Amino acid sequence: MLQLEDISVAFGGLAALSNVNLRVDNGEFVGLVGPNGAGKTTVFNVISGLVKPTAGNARFIAMDLLKQPIHARARAGIARTFQIPQPLHELTVRQNLIVAQKFGTGHSDPKRIDEILDFLGLTERAERNAANDLALTEHKALEVGKALATDPKLLLLDEALAGLETTGKRQFTQMIKQLHEETGLAIVIIEHDIETISELCQRAVVLDFGKVIADETPERIFRDPEVMRSYTGERSA
Amino acid sequence: MFELTLQALYSGLLTGTYYALVALGLALVFGTMKIINLAHGELVLLAAYVAYTAESQWSLNPLAAIPFAMVVVSVVAIAVYLLIDRIKKDRELNSLILTFGIGIILTNFVLLVWSADIRSTTTPWFQQAVVFGDLLFSSRSEILFFLISVALVGATWWWLSQTWYGRATRAVSSDRKAAMLMGVNPRQTEILSFVVASILATVAGIAIFTGQVIEPSLGHALTVKAFIITVLAGMGSIPGVLLGAILIGVVEALTVTYFSSSLQELTGMVLFLVVLLLRPQGLFGFGVRRG
Ligand SMILES: Nc1ncnc2c1ncn2[C@@H]1O[C@H](COP(=O)(O)OP(=O)(O)OP(=O)(O)O)[C@@H](O)[C@H]1O
Ligand SMILES: [Mg+2]
Repeated sequence: MLQLEDISVAFGGLAALSNVNLRVDNGEFVGLVGPNGAGKTTVFNVISGLVKPTAGNARFIAMDLLKQPIHARARAGIARTFQIPQPLHELTVRQNLIVAQKFGTGHSDPKRIDEILDFLGLTERAERNAANDLALTEHKALEVGKALATDPKLLLLDEALAGLETTGKRQFTQMIKQLHEETGLAIVIIEHDIETISELCQRAVVLDFGKVIADETPERIFRDPEVMRSYTGERSA
Repeated sequence: MFELTLQALYSGLLTGTYYALVALGLALVFGTMKIINLAHGELVLLAAYVAYTAESQWSLNPLAAIPFAMVVVSVVAIAVYLLIDRIKKDRELNSLILTFGIGIILTNFVLLVWSADIRSTTTPWFQQAVVFGDLLFSSRSEILFFLISVALVGATWWWLSQTWYGRATRAVSSDRKAAMLMGVNPRQTEILSFVVASILATVAGIAIFTGQVIEPSLGHALTVKAFIITVLAGMGSIPGVLLGAILIGVVEALTVTYFSSSLQELTGMVLFLVVLLLRPQGLFGFGVRRG
């Protein structure tokens, strides 16, 4: 469904990504891992259109992705969440979802909004201001909710679990797992926690200094001493 | 003394409401594009002169000229948008120079076509007095456009908060990238904000043409006033724009009553500076907004 071919991104002199290849099939759940600054978020930015690669190709379903503006990619079914939640200010939680649904899908379906609110445990918070009146977990849930409201085919989750305490994290992981099982949505998740990746993903792609250094099942990857060295080495730094 | 003050408050209220139309248009465009359209006042003026031509050449009532003026002003506004859209680098800054230039061109165009003479409506109906309790004096035009302006401000509020296009406009104002990631086409909402601003500007232009007098340099003065009001309101609050506009109208009217009409344009500026010094987030803004 998604195919990145030899994608390179440079910021000034810094090579953030070098010849990255990434393939995501229908219904797949892929983990994107790597140390801080490895270029994980940049991969998402390339897919969603916020960053233009300096070289490479990208296809999404039958679409030449790199030629499309940001909003067209969203309409085509690519949704993402941000590391730092970005709700639309001045709108309530529900309005955030309504706007996302209307503009992502072209129609409005209040029942679906209720379902999403319920699924994410946000029903009681629906009429609150999205920018000011939410706890961190709720912000994270709303991030996912906004993405779901656009009825995506591919969901990109950027550290959706980071910063949550243990129980919150467990609940959130189960929720995302359930989401994947029920909808068959293709999901790519950026996540540092090895256990979470192992639980959720069929495949994990390891980025280091902008290069893909492994692309295998989580079990094999986390058994590979080479990968673990780059991974843990950078993390404790 | 009391009567004079009351009359000044009343006049200020009536003038302030059409100032609000001008300021709201400026604020809408600023919201979606983050640019200040320095030719905005000239659009108001253009509408007034279109009504003048319609009345003097084709004996058309200024009210009947509104749809026609709206089309003319919208076409010019969209042309301004397309020019701004071509700026690829430092759009915030370069658009100031661009729209300032367009403003000058429009003013000179008006001078060339309609000359520097002061104009006003020749339809007597508008100028007839409406007096309340032997105390509050106004013209029919002022009352009519007070009502229309309040209704239009309300309609704009409704549009922004209750309709899809309005919500998209707010979404783009709130966070352009996040809105695009949801599938909002920002160009559509930007053009739309220019068109809505044109509609508001047109009505304000006809209000001035029928209630006061027009002359080519008025556009510039209106832009400055709209800008002051928008900053007073704390960028982006519709009730704030309305209150700010009425405040400017009232302070101007009081200045004219108690000091001199030559100081009228200065008072807004003074108020502006005082507010900037004491409450930089605007009179009705609540803190500095992020994003
Ligand atoms: N817009 C930008 N301009 C300049 N440099 C950037 C930009 N975005 C990212 N970078 C740089 O590119 C590199 C990769 O950044 P990226 O955010 O993709 O890393 P990441 O893997 O998501 O890291 P983290 O785990 O900290 O989120 C970093 O060195 C970062 O500083
Ligand atoms: Mg990141």
